[in-house]
Amino acid sequence: MAEILGAFEQAVLLAIFRLGEDAYGRAILKEVQARLEREVAAGAVHATLERLAKKGLVVSRLGPGTPVRSGRARRFYRVQAKGVRALNDSRATVDGLWQGLRWPLRGCV
Amino acid sequence: MTATAYPPRWAEALLRTLLKPGDFESVSGDLLEQYRDSIYPARGRRRADWWYARQVFAFVSPGARFFAALFSAQFLTRTALDWFVPPLDFHTRSTISTALGVGTLLAAGFWAAWRSDSFATGAVAGVVTAGLASVTSIAGAAGMLAIWHDPQAMAAIRGSGGLDEIFCLPFMMVFPGLLLGAGGGVACTALKRLLLMLNQT
Repeated sequence: MAEILGAFEQAVLLAIFRLGEDAYGRAILKEVQARLEREVAAGAVHATLERLAKKGLVVSRLGPGTPVRSGRARRFYRVQAKGVRALNDSRATVDGLWQGLRWPLRGCV
Repeated sequence: MTATAYPPRWAEALLRTLLKPGDFESVSGDLLEQYRDSIYPARGRRRADWWYARQVFAFVSPGARFFAALFSAQFLTRTALDWFVPPLDFHTRSTISTALGVGTLLAAGFWAAWRSDSFATGAVAGVVTAGLASVTSIAGAAGMLAIWHDPQAMAAIRGSGGLDEIFCLPFMMVFPGLLLGAGGGVACTALKRLLLMLNQT
């Protein structure tokens, strides 16, 4: 059965996908905020990343820190094959829901 | 200046209690980077510190908001019952509402500890839950008082403990919130250890 992803989970997974090798906590947060065009709490992204890792959709590794973070390590994320399938399934589900309808919808029913 | 700026120590210490040990370095590093890179230069020290504190509380507050709403609903229901359906003896009603309040704070601590793997998070969740609940409970009670303040309602309020109890009791729950939240956290940690032992055998 296809993995059902919430909108925020999709935003986080797609951010990791877009960032590639540079996908670490702060960069993911910035990307998600830019795409969703709103302020997002770091805690919300952290909780989502944890959930995605538990589901086996992403894996992480610790990388070196930088002076601006006082040398504190960065956690880098990568989307797994299962995560890519989940994203494709989510997109296919939404496309299926919209099939036969012209976007944007007009009027009211 | 900005590169050496540090967020409040208490907030970093609180963040440490809220996260799994392996997550603190990377998460606090992310927050520190954002604090120094964009927040501090744009907003200045005080507002940057406020931003940092809000980020830290966001690690505990989503669940705390739910439990605080539950706690407030219980408090306001009890208050409304005391005003409009006053009993002859408050003992049974008090026992039930105390048990519900204690259960809610224990559950808040248990839930937070389950999420973070740290019993200390339970204590923080208990305090945050009780703090949020006290504000919403008092606001709700003030709203009720603004609507119903006829002599009959005022007599019922006096008979059920008076205005002092309505406006002070919620704040007095913050310290018990700390203890009960910690209790929920300890219970959660014990349960997790038990489940782990059962899994290994």
